Amino acid sequence: MMIIAKRIMMRLLTLTLTLCVLVQAGVVFADDKNRTTAQQQNDLSSLLNSIGKKVSDFTSLKTDFTQEKDMAMFKEKLVLKGRIYLQKPGKIAWHVDAPVRYSVLITDTVIRQWDEDTNKVQELSLAKNPIFQNVLNQLTVWFSGEYGSLLAINEVRVKQNDPLVLEFVPLEKNISKKVIKSITITFRDDQKYLKQILIREVNGDMTTITFSNTQLNVPLDKASFEVKG
Amino acid sequence: MLERFFSRGFDLARAHKRLVLIFVALVTAGSVFGLSLIRYEGSVDLMLPPDKDVARSMQFLRDSSLSDKVIISLALTKPDRDKKDLFAAVDQLAATLEPPLFSKVTSGVSMADAMDEFSVLQYGPQILTEDELRSLDAQITGPSVETKLKQIYLQTFRPESVFTASLSRTDPLGIKTVLYGKLKALPSSMGYDVVVEDGRFLSRDGRHALLIVQTTVPMMDATRSKELVRILEEKIRQLPDYVSADVIGGHLHTVSNEQAIKRDIAVATVVASVGFILLFLFVFRDVRAFFVILFPLLAVVWAVIVVALIEGTLSYLVIGFGTAIVGISDFGLIVYIAMKRGTESSQMGKLGKLVFMDAITTIFSFAVLIFSEIRGYQQLAVFSIVCLVICLLFSLFVLPLTLSWKRFTLVPDPTIGDRLKKVHWPVKSTLGVWAILTTALLVLSFSVRFDSDVKKLDGSAPAVFKAEQNFHEAWGGKTNQAILVVTGRNFEEAMEANDRVYREAIKALGKEEFTSLALFWPSEKSRKENRDRWDRFWKEGRERKLKKLIREKSAAYGFSDRAFAPFFEGLYSRQSDSSHPGGLIAHLQERFVVNRDGECRIMSFFPDEQRNIDALRPLTQKHPSFIVSGRALSASISHFTIREMYFLAPLAVLFNLVLTWLFFRNWKETLIALVPLLTGVVWLLGIMSLFGMSLNVVNIIAGVIASGVIVDYGLGITYEYRNNLHFGTVMAMTLSAASNVIGAGALLFARHPALYSTGVAMVISMVAGYLSSVLVVPSFCSLMAPAAKEKTS
Repeated sequence: MMIIAKRIMMRLLTLTLTLCVLVQAGVVFADDKNRTTAQQQNDLSSLLNSIGKKVSDFTSLKTDFTQEKDMAMFKEKLVLKGRIYLQKPGKIAWHVDAPVRYSVLITDTVIRQWDEDTNKVQELSLAKNPIFQNVLNQLTVWFSGEYGSLLAINEVRVKQNDPLVLEFVPLEKNISKKVIKSITITFRDDQKYLKQILIREVNGDMTTITFSNTQLNVPLDKASFEVKG
Repeated sequence: MLERFFSRGFDLARAHKRLVLIFVALVTAGSVFGLSLIRYEGSVDLMLPPDKDVARSMQFLRDSSLSDKVIISLALTKPDRDKKDLFAAVDQLAATLEPPLFSKVTSGVSMADAMDEFSVLQYGPQILTEDELRSLDAQITGPSVETKLKQIYLQTFRPESVFTASLSRTDPLGIKTVLYGKLKALPSSMGYDVVVEDGRFLSRDGRHALLIVQTTVPMMDATRSKELVRILEEKIRQLPDYVSADVIGGHLHTVSNEQAIKRDIAVATVVASVGFILLFLFVFRDVRAFFVILFPLLAVVWAVIVVALIEGTLSYLVIGFGTAIVGISDFGLIVYIAMKRGTESSQMGKLGKLVFMDAITTIFSFAVLIFSEIRGYQQLAVFSIVCLVICLLFSLFVLPLTLSWKRFTLVPDPTIGDRLKKVHWPVKSTLGVWAILTTALLVLSFSVRFDSDVKKLDGSAPAVFKAEQNFHEAWGGKTNQAILVVTGRNFEEAMEANDRVYREAIKALGKEEFTSLALFWPSEKSRKENRDRWDRFWKEGRERKLKKLIREKSAAYGFSDRAFAPFFEGLYSRQSDSSHPGGLIAHLQERFVVNRDGECRIMSFFPDEQRNIDALRPLTQKHPSFIVSGRALSASISHFTIREMYFLAPLAVLFNLVLTWLFFRNWKETLIALVPLLTGVVWLLGIMSLFGMSLNVVNIIAGVIASGVIVDYGLGITYEYRNNLHFGTVMAMTLSAASNVIGAGALLFARHPALYSTGVAMVISMVAGYLSSVLVVPSFCSLMAPAAKEKTS
């Protein structure tokens, strides 16, 4: 997970700078009518990758988030509020503050989680939970902006340029195809971090995660990564 | 009679000298051509005992899907490259591996299909046992359902719920936990510590990908394996520079062993030939001495053809021993020295008798191996005997023809070797030192170890082992696994037997220790029973009861009325077989199931430890099954070889004793003549023990071969000293020993462990045997009254 977190950082910056460069260069993917879809994909892929390799300069991230789940399983929309902390290399903490308190710390080897209902800390080995690890890998890809690797298994569209909005639709070969209809990423105006992730499921369920008060390269104290409330 | 036969034979050959030489030249030319037509075997299988368990295990490993697969581990070598680049390289390589050499390439499994295959409502009904349904029943209560609903509610706060929350709609009771418990063993069942990403096998560190390549080339087919490895290396060279590849598979061992043995044979032949030529030219200063070296070499070539005609194929290992046999056959040397000393044609009969007796004792040493049950030993015996007989004939009837030419007749030297014979060592001190050393080494010899691990005789190049080490570092799986093989006349019969064996095996070993297909995918019969039981389970009122409980308890957490409708709607609407072609279940079946010769075999894996083998052994008596274990295999080889040696060693001693007695007709001389044999054997075992070396299936044969030679030394020198003869036997034995040690010593340059250990064993035996024959035998002889006097008295 250290590696994953490291990559998250790198990809975020990669993506941000890539997009900055792209915008400054006046390259607008969606408007380029002369290119075929395949060419667009190739250009997007190569640009994201090539710029991303040059970038790796933030060490920590702190952001608040609000998650809204509109699910057939629940009568009403479920709203969660919480915080995410990322520390390079290899630590990510996800804290839910409302409606119930829940924390999880993910490192490269273990997952430690706590909830106020049981008030117990549970520790899982990632190595012994390959299925869980797979799900988390998928998740961290979407959170981190590691989109270069997703081009092969998603159809990518630029929905809007200002602010930048990208939509990923899983292709047939993508494992997510069975569950996910599309994932839409909205970037902040300054494009230094994500503003919102919208996940539409095949069964009609929808999850929106909105980020706020995002700070990069801020000192994070030890308590940020404590899972016990 | 013998003397007359040899005398007449020699006269006949001399009378038709030209014809004989042309015949030898033609047959040799034909034999050299024939060498390229022979089928050679590079494996050590031939050297393994024909024990039922060993043979079945080896046959199984050869036939199983394990033996026709090659694994390629691709690694990213540059830190700035990622999985995407790695997968591109995997796809590139996979696309180039085409028939006819490569029949199937698997780079991963479809996890999308796996989600269907292992979904709660599709997989659960087929796999859940009676006990598991019973514990499910215990959860259909108010408090339990409330707890489950609360857990589902709380799960929606977790990060992974973004992807997994809606899956709870088909699983209000958390049945997936039971299924995951079973599937947890999946990664280890693949044999590697593997994760699947984007449908490809990936290592935990995300820097390695795996390709499982099925080939049409049997592992033991050296010729096609060479082609396979060459093509693979060619394809790998075309990969991008940021990727390296480690290839793992038995084919690489076959090719590498063959290369090592060929190289060693070439080096040994060159070293031995140069050594012989220098030795002979230095001692005799006569180019004709070259024929003494040439004829044994020709004998090896002839023998290869003769034995290949008898046996069909010939082992490289057996031919490797032929190099040593070149040095062993000293008959030509005796004939050459006797002729050099001026032995006349009239004495050729007597000389023939002595050489014949030498040959007979050596031949009988190898003949003992015919009584061995090990095919390789038998082949070696036949090869050696044929080689020695041809050598004997060459030495007696062809070599003398080549020593006298019209213009360059052999210049006699009646004193040749006399100086050696005149060297006298103090009798008592010599015997005292010999007795002390031999006693000490005899004591040590009792603690010599026998190493039955045939893997240590694997002479593959370091690169092959390094690739395996890299592989294990990336993918794990280094723990040795034994296999319990269940057999059946068809797939379903084997699957049903496998279910029964699994149930008993986990009682004996525990679930953690035993990986079986039955855990993930039992027989159709069991799956049908499970499905019927599942349907009955819910139709007996539990469906209604659960619906009611969910209705009562769900309001507190805000669940909608149709929150779990997908579960109830899907309770009975599954497919009878959820496996997808190319899916995970199909992939698992490929790993666990082997179909060969109208029989279906299903493998289960467990740690190769004696306690596990002992615990599972009773199952093999009850069910159609057997165990394939490296540990058990080693134990069987060890047990069998020791048993053989208990039988063959006394037989060899008996043969030598009887033949020597027949030659001397006197027990004292017989026992003195056998001193070098005793010394050679005791010193070999003692010195090996002293230096921590072990006996193995190969150097035991080397010891037997060496004993066949050193028995000649004792016989010849005792005969010469007791009868005060002047054939130059001491000189002949000294040169013979020197050439033997050069021949065997050449194998000390071998890289192949089997040939190297052969060289070590032969050098020790021969040096010990020679020293005792020139130092100890004359000393014993001098303690005895002269033979003539004894006979008179």
